Amino acid sequence: MKKRAVAALLCGVMVASTMTTVHVQAADTTITVMASQDWVYDAEMELGKKFEEETGIKVDYQIVPADQYYNNLMTKLNSGEGPDIFGGQSGSFDIVSQYNVEKNAVDLSDQPWVETYDEFAKEQTSVGDKVYGMTYYDVSTDYYVVYNKKIFEENGLEVPTTYAEFEEVCQTLLDNDIVPIYEPCADGWHQTMWFTEIGGKYEELVPGIVDDLNNNKIKFADVPELKEALDQLNDMAQKGYFGDNYLSDEYTDLLMNLGSGEYAMALEKPGQISAIAEASDGKYTAEDFGMFVIPLLDNEVYPQHPCGPSRFIYSGSEHQEEAKQYLEYIASADSVQYMIDNCDKIENLPFDVGQTPSYTEETQAFLDAAEKEGTVFQDSIKYLNPQWTELTQDIVSMFIGDMTSEDVLNAIDERRATQAEAVGDENWQ
Amino acid sequence: MKKSKIYPWYFAAGALLIYTALSVIPGIIGIGYSFTDWSAYSDELHFVGLKNFIDVFSGDQDYLQYILNTLLFTVVTTVAKTGLGLLFALALSRNIKAKNFHRGVMYMPSVLSILIIGLVFTSILNPKNGLLNEGLRLIGLDSLTQKWLTDPHIAFWSVMGVDIWRGTGYIMTILIVGILAIPNVYYEAAGIDGANGFHKFRYVTLPMLKQTLAVTIVLNVLYGLKVFDMVYALTNGGPGHRTEVMYTAVFKQFSQGLYAAGTTISSVMFIFMVIVGFFMIKILTKDEVIE
Repeated sequence: MKKRAVAALLCGVMVASTMTTVHVQAADTTITVMASQDWVYDAEMELGKKFEEETGIKVDYQIVPADQYYNNLMTKLNSGEGPDIFGGQSGSFDIVSQYNVEKNAVDLSDQPWVETYDEFAKEQTSVGDKVYGMTYYDVSTDYYVVYNKKIFEENGLEVPTTYAEFEEVCQTLLDNDIVPIYEPCADGWHQTMWFTEIGGKYEELVPGIVDDLNNNKIKFADVPELKEALDQLNDMAQKGYFGDNYLSDEYTDLLMNLGSGEYAMALEKPGQISAIAEASDGKYTAEDFGMFVIPLLDNEVYPQHPCGPSRFIYSGSEHQEEAKQYLEYIASADSVQYMIDNCDKIENLPFDVGQTPSYTEETQAFLDAAEKEGTVFQDSIKYLNPQWTELTQDIVSMFIGDMTSEDVLNAIDERRATQAEAVGDENWQ
Repeated sequence: MKKSKIYPWYFAAGALLIYTALSVIPGIIGIGYSFTDWSAYSDELHFVGLKNFIDVFSGDQDYLQYILNTLLFTVVTTVAKTGLGLLFALALSRNIKAKNFHRGVMYMPSVLSILIIGLVFTSILNPKNGLLNEGLRLIGLDSLTQKWLTDPHIAFWSVMGVDIWRGTGYIMTILIVGILAIPNVYYEAAGIDGANGFHKFRYVTLPMLKQTLAVTIVLNVLYGLKVFDMVYALTNGGPGHRTEVMYTAVFKQFSQGLYAAGTTISSVMFIFMVIVGFFMIKILTKDEVIE
């Protein structure tokens, strides 16, 4: 009898301890958010802390260098060890071919924030009528050539409207010991934008190019304009317009280097202009910087970039509900406004929650001046965005003379074919 | 107990079973998959014959360059680590001041995580504000400053240099143990016979150290052939594809969901390493005395 009583007591203790453990685990839940460098801003991490205070759910941000991110993420997803939330570029084609969201991500269509979610952003993160991701990035503006007006004035330069004028500007600056462009190649993503951001110009020069490439009627290597754009980009590197150390230059130093006046231009989002001015230690104000569109191929078409870094909940996550709570939290009206107010890069987010965007007058005037607009190539061309890392490596190979522009275009075509065939795209059969 | 006693095979059965289940069978299955179109994008598996192998060895892809890079890395790091390791082992197996401190300092890099080493050296080797170039500028050697990790002609040598720095201490430690195990009487006898320092090294140390050297060389060669993390952390294969090796290529194929392509390169490396390992041990231990 005594033994039974002891056994019952022990059982009771065990059950109670199990229950306590369960309770402790719920309170101590940690969700992991894996993203590429520069996809999660400090302001979002601050929101993460507030979220933890309110819900007890800790958010662990795993930030991976940009040139390693995609390989790293896909290895994790393909081996069934994904994080609770993973970052990925949106794009209705690519989220299927690149991230296989129907298998790897959770359907978020029933989430409350979907009602306030921008229609176009929704389309780019959906497959059929199911929403799989949330774009948490300012897609209302894009990367433009940000230039230092004071340096331009001091050197008697005007904003270039053609590639020839742009070259002249760069050469004059170089002759006057100012590095024309800060191009951070070390991170393995930035330099490719020179080639892909002028998608609108390609469409203008070669009508139907987007459909033809997507239907595999033509290849990248068949289009001389694409080769010319790459040649012009290579020319900029060879002529020293990016400086001596561009292959080692990092994106995180862009603000400092542009703010120091050592460099005159860089591809950057308008929201960063105030941060550049801040990094200049009083040498420049935000008004000292202006913008123009990438002038390769005499481009004057403003880039439209509806896709951006988005959040997906991993289908294998054990904390799907907590992850959903996190997404709901960061998409709330307060959080969206917090991001706009506390992050220079975010002037608006793709939600309609009554927020006030923070465009400066200069940005607004610049955007209003757009006469032509066209979608960037990484958003409109199938199987291009998934090979961003490889394409960037190839562009560096072109800079160092290991590949020609034709080789780069052929490599793009080969990788597109490989991926299209693997997906079973009938246009590549 | 008889020294010549041969133990029955089943003494090794447990270890063999685990080794077979965890290494041999997956290796063979991997070779099987390299004849298919296995990918993350389709649940169906088709036999494609030698297509993947043809892709690897065709000139269309850069794999041949990656194979050459891997072999260059293996040869250079093995020679340098063994040579330097032996040199340091000889110096630090003598009675010198603060011997253990020096041994510790030499060994320390091998206990550091390669990723941490990668991050630290990326910063040290930065051409603009890295410690190395800044140091060279400070002492007036501006002409020696280099773009260590981004100059296509230097980058791979920098990677190998960092790897040699990291691995030498480990090899040195193994060799010190080997040197200390050589009975002193041989040196005394050689000394009586009039042998100088070099003779003692040439005719006593080196022959007695042969087995240990064989082990370190095999370790270095196999490490070199499967190098991945050092390259990944320092250059990620760049600039362009200049420092790409076989296993960074495997990693990239897997991460793109192209499993069959990745498995094919792995299989090639698997077979190659088995052959290299087998013959190296055979050659390096051919004079071994069986008691």
